[in-house]
Amino acid sequence: MRILALIRQVLDAEETVRIRAGEVDLSASKLVVDTMDEYGVEQALRIRETGVDAEVVALAVGPERNQEALRTVLAMGADRAIHVMTELALDPIALSKVAAQVAQQENVDLIFCGGQQADWDSHALGAATAERLQWPQLTWVNALEIHGQTLTGRHDAEDGSEMFSVQLPAVITTQQGLNEPRYPTVPNIMRAKRKELRVESMESFHVEPKLKIIGAEIQVKARLHKILDGKDATAAAAELVQLLRDEARVIA
Amino acid sequence: MSGPAISNPRRATGGSFLIEDLGPEDIFTLEDLSDEQRQIERATVEFAEKEIQPRIAAIEAKDFGVTKDLLRKAGELGLMGVDVPEEHGGLQMDKVTSALIAEKIAICGSFSVSFSAHVGIGTLPLVWYGTAEQKKKYLSRLASGEWIAAYALSEASSGSDAMNLRTRAKLSADGKHYVLNGEKMWISNAGIANLFTVFAKIDGEKFAAFLIEAGTVGLAVGPEEHKLGIRGSSTCPLILTDCQVPVENLLGEAGKGHHIAFNILNVGRYKLGAAAIGGAKNAFRGGLRYAKERIAFSKPIVSFGLVQQMVADSAAGIFAGESLVYRVIGAIDASLAELEKSATTTGEIQKRIEEYAVECSIVKVWCSEMLERLVDQMLQLHGGYGYVEEYSAERAYRDSRINKIFEGTNEINRLIISGWTMKRAMQGRLALLPAIQRVMDEIVAGSKSREGRDGELAEQRFLLANAKKLSLFCAGAASEKFGSELAEQQEIMGALADMMMEVLALESAILRTEKMQGRSTLAVAMTKYYAARSVRILETSAERILGAVAEGDMLRTRMAIFHRLTKHVPENTVALGRKIAMAMTEVGRYTV
Repeated sequence: MRILALIRQVLDAEETVRIRAGEVDLSASKLVVDTMDEYGVEQALRIRETGVDAEVVALAVGPERNQEALRTVLAMGADRAIHVMTELALDPIALSKVAAQVAQQENVDLIFCGGQQADWDSHALGAATAERLQWPQLTWVNALEIHGQTLTGRHDAEDGSEMFSVQLPAVITTQQGLNEPRYPTVPNIMRAKRKELRVESMESFHVEPKLKIIGAEIQVKARLHKILDGKDATAAAAELVQLLRDEARVIA
Repeated sequence: MSGPAISNPRRATGGSFLIEDLGPEDIFTLEDLSDEQRQIERATVEFAEKEIQPRIAAIEAKDFGVTKDLLRKAGELGLMGVDVPEEHGGLQMDKVTSALIAEKIAICGSFSVSFSAHVGIGTLPLVWYGTAEQKKKYLSRLASGEWIAAYALSEASSGSDAMNLRTRAKLSADGKHYVLNGEKMWISNAGIANLFTVFAKIDGEKFAAFLIEAGTVGLAVGPEEHKLGIRGSSTCPLILTDCQVPVENLLGEAGKGHHIAFNILNVGRYKLGAAAIGGAKNAFRGGLRYAKERIAFSKPIVSFGLVQQMVADSAAGIFAGESLVYRVIGAIDASLAELEKSATTTGEIQKRIEEYAVECSIVKVWCSEMLERLVDQMLQLHGGYGYVEEYSAERAYRDSRINKIFEGTNEINRLIISGWTMKRAMQGRLALLPAIQRVMDEIVAGSKSREGRDGELAEQRFLLANAKKLSLFCAGAASEKFGSELAEQQEIMGALADMMMEVLALESAILRTEKMQGRSTLAVAMTKYYAARSVRILETSAERILGAVAEGDMLRTRMAIFHRLTKHVPENTVALGRKIAMAMTEVGRYTV
């Protein structure tokens, strides 16, 4: 079988977001593989390690720097990588069009995708990809096993968990708790150098994003500078509790 | 791996930077890292942030189980095998890669020391001097982190004068064992080590090194020291009482143990430099984060000029330090890469590295002192919070201090810097004397026009050229006065070393910035900013030397030359400092 892991390169959570000319400027920032996507890669590798004859292919769509992310995933253990090069900012729906086409071209049986895209703050990529392929999707998966062509697993529900099973092909979106992604080791980093990283141009996928980002700004945290008069301590305490509960909503 | 980035790496060895003018293409810079090196750097950062960072409190509480666990994990990732040959479970990679790892591990001083003591002075003696059997027995265990190594040279009464050690070894009557007696002090990793490299004199004469396994009868580890900093690293005395070491555990040749002791130090020194850069970047990030968040007079304190000045000083220090460290290690790599074409012995490798002994010492001293200034400034901008343990600034401040002491005190290293350079000059291996003569002739002939003054760093290039001349002038004046007694004049040797350090650091920053070809305006600003500091140090050191070697008319004539060589128009370091601080503030960490 062939497993496709969708990889997105996003800003490291520790980094400061910077805006230049109405766009998020990533040029001098530390970028990482979206943690949610790492769960997918790790799970694909674990499936392969159970003895299933599987090839793990990683796909990234974006500017040249995405190849760093793909090299990292290759060093984790993916067999090969595909980079669709573009400077366009693709929303999840547009991106899914590329992902679905690659899945078809590559005769993929199973797709892993992060449950949430850190930069778009969206859950749509996995769903949209599944929809385009007319495949079942299972979201926010935190446990997964494979037996032949059947996947069984679990995901969180409101007050507990739901167990499921599904026949391949399918799209699985991940979440925290599914596994603990491995680190790329130094020997594997050296080996990854020799693995295939195929670069494709965006044109062949005929994608025109309908959604365009026209501006971006940093959220300014305004301080209220509210000072409670403490002459009557009991009243001040009561007012503080009321403010924390009803205005700030930090206590129940 | 880094070879192709430099066209002629062997030119700058053993102080030759004083007499040669290199171009940007001659030096290695961080911008020249290969994709693999960057990836290994990233992998190390991930390990440091996800594995070390959350455990710092436990490490600092001397929970050595945590340290051992982390060392094993680092071993599994391959971070400890970079200097170990492949046939013994290592990866045998370039020195830049191992320096990058040392830099990124250094987010916690205690762990950094445990790690460095293990992979450096702990493991390298075996790599370089071990027999096939010794390597087979121990090396893969050390590279994997299954075993921890320690290096025991210092004693209560011999530190800098290591040759003076009192530990004795005697061959047993049956010729099967050496029997060791003595005490070792301040042994890093002693409390967690499985294997010790212990130095002793056989029959009180022959300096030798022995591999001793923990648990060997007669080897006792004393109590943990209570230290100013790096409190989470293990430091204990060792007590050897009729300790029986099998003869096959003699490391290297009897009588040549000092080669082991000293050659290892060159590697330790450049790696210490790299670790200091890592510690500096981490402390800088913490300080900057605080300065952005802390409000005083209704504004974040980072918007105030004197805070920005601390930020800019620190950033420029990191920039020059990075340039210096990776230039030197890159040159060592390129030199070693030439070797690999032929069959290489470890002796040749050491000889090549030893060629850079002066530069390794410069890296050690310069970086440890840059780090010390930086952690002081980062603590300072925390105000009262800097003085309590709540913020990491306090720990960084304490942890930095050891760097000026171990791997040879900064005083010993200063004497090596100027001493080796002068020695090489006397041996005819470095054309220092003709260069001094040229400078004198040029001065007598009157000043030449400023040649080749274009480009953004033209003024700094001019300063650098004059700094070299000034250093040679001072070295000449001091030699004239003291002749062969110069080496005994430690204050003057120290001042000469300070001048050499600034020349190398400033040159590295200038060349790196030029190699970037305008891609970073920040690099240009930091180079200019740093140059202003360099000039002050050069002037102070030169005055110290000149004032001590002549008086009266002679001194006045020399000071006229001094003024000619130090004449310059100051940069606007206020504006530069603000620009640097604002750029760092925006990104929230050190950046180029």
